[in-house]
Amino acid sequence: MDFHMFETRVLPAKNKLFRFATRLLGSQEEAKDVVQEALIKVWNGREQLNDVQNLEAWCMRIVKNLSLDRLRSSQRRPADGLDSHADIRQELLTPHETTELQESMKQIEQLMNALPDKQRQVMHLRDIEGYSYQEICEILGIDMSQVKVSLFRARQAVRDQLIKMNAYGL
Amino acid sequence: MDSKHVEALLEKYWNGDTSLEEEAQLRAFFAQGNVPASLQSAASLFRYFQQEQQKKLAPSFDARVTKSIRQRQGGKIIRMVNLVNVARIAAGVLVIVAAGYLIRQEVSKMYPEDTYSDPKVAFEETKKALMMISKSFGKAQQEAGKIKMFNEAEEKIQSPKADDTEQKASI
Repeated sequence: MDFHMFETRVLPAKNKLFRFATRLLGSQEEAKDVVQEALIKVWNGREQLNDVQNLEAWCMRIVKNLSLDRLRSSQRRPADGLDSHADIRQELLTPHETTELQESMKQIEQLMNALPDKQRQVMHLRDIEGYSYQEICEILGIDMSQVKVSLFRARQAVRDQLIKMNAYGL
Repeated sequence: MDSKHVEALLEKYWNGDTSLEEEAQLRAFFAQGNVPASLQSAASLFRYFQQEQQKKLAPSFDARVTKSIRQRQGGKIIRMVNLVNVARIAAGVLVIVAAGYLIRQEVSKMYPEDTYSDPKVAFEETKKALMMISKSFGKAQQEAGKIKMFNEAEEKIQSPKADDTEQKASI
């Protein structure tokens, strides 16, 4: 792989890598470092990339491994306090609606982060990044049935929580 | 898309049975804003997904990565940096060795080595050397005596002239 190929095929995945690392680590600053580290790792190992079919999934997998290494070395639980909220376009909303929206975004973030690790990772990859089941298998290194079960459980849990939130008028 | 269809799709979604295309349809439906009240909680979930998709790295990130990659390209620069460090250390060692050698030389000059093993011979040699200095010194004194004579003569010549000028000044 030459530098041009790196720029056109690897670098464009950076935002997906960043969002996934943020989901795993709970810190955008750390996520940025991990993505940079991952990209450099991909570049340094470019000679062995010829056998890799899906470069993006490969990069995602490296990000996942590096993030989990970090979490392991600092011995903390992933994604306890995500450091950013509500960045949505809000031009058409009144201040009251804006606050309400921010509040509900925050709640959804919390309930998603409260999911078990695997469920949270699968849901992120499917619902935010739009990966196929096969790609999720490659990224997480798990088999198809595990992906499907995790996604099912994650969506059910989120649905239950949303129903509860609505029932209490939140 | 009517809400019946959306509800059916949503049911499939919760059960993990939707395809990527169907999920894209749901996303598009919730993004257009006009959502019935019964679907509001699902709408906020999809809005959250949409919001998350917009999170991006700063544009300066690319430059940061490409810079560090170019630096590492083939590891040449790293090797260069190592060489520079080696050169620095070598230069430091060289300076210390050179300084040590020079200081040793200076110290050995201050304490000359003995040239004679027999004290009698050494004494004779020293006497010879001192005699030589003494002779030269005596000769130099003689020569200096001549200079003294010159000086005296010069003073004698100059002093009457000085008297004349003083007399003229008083007149």
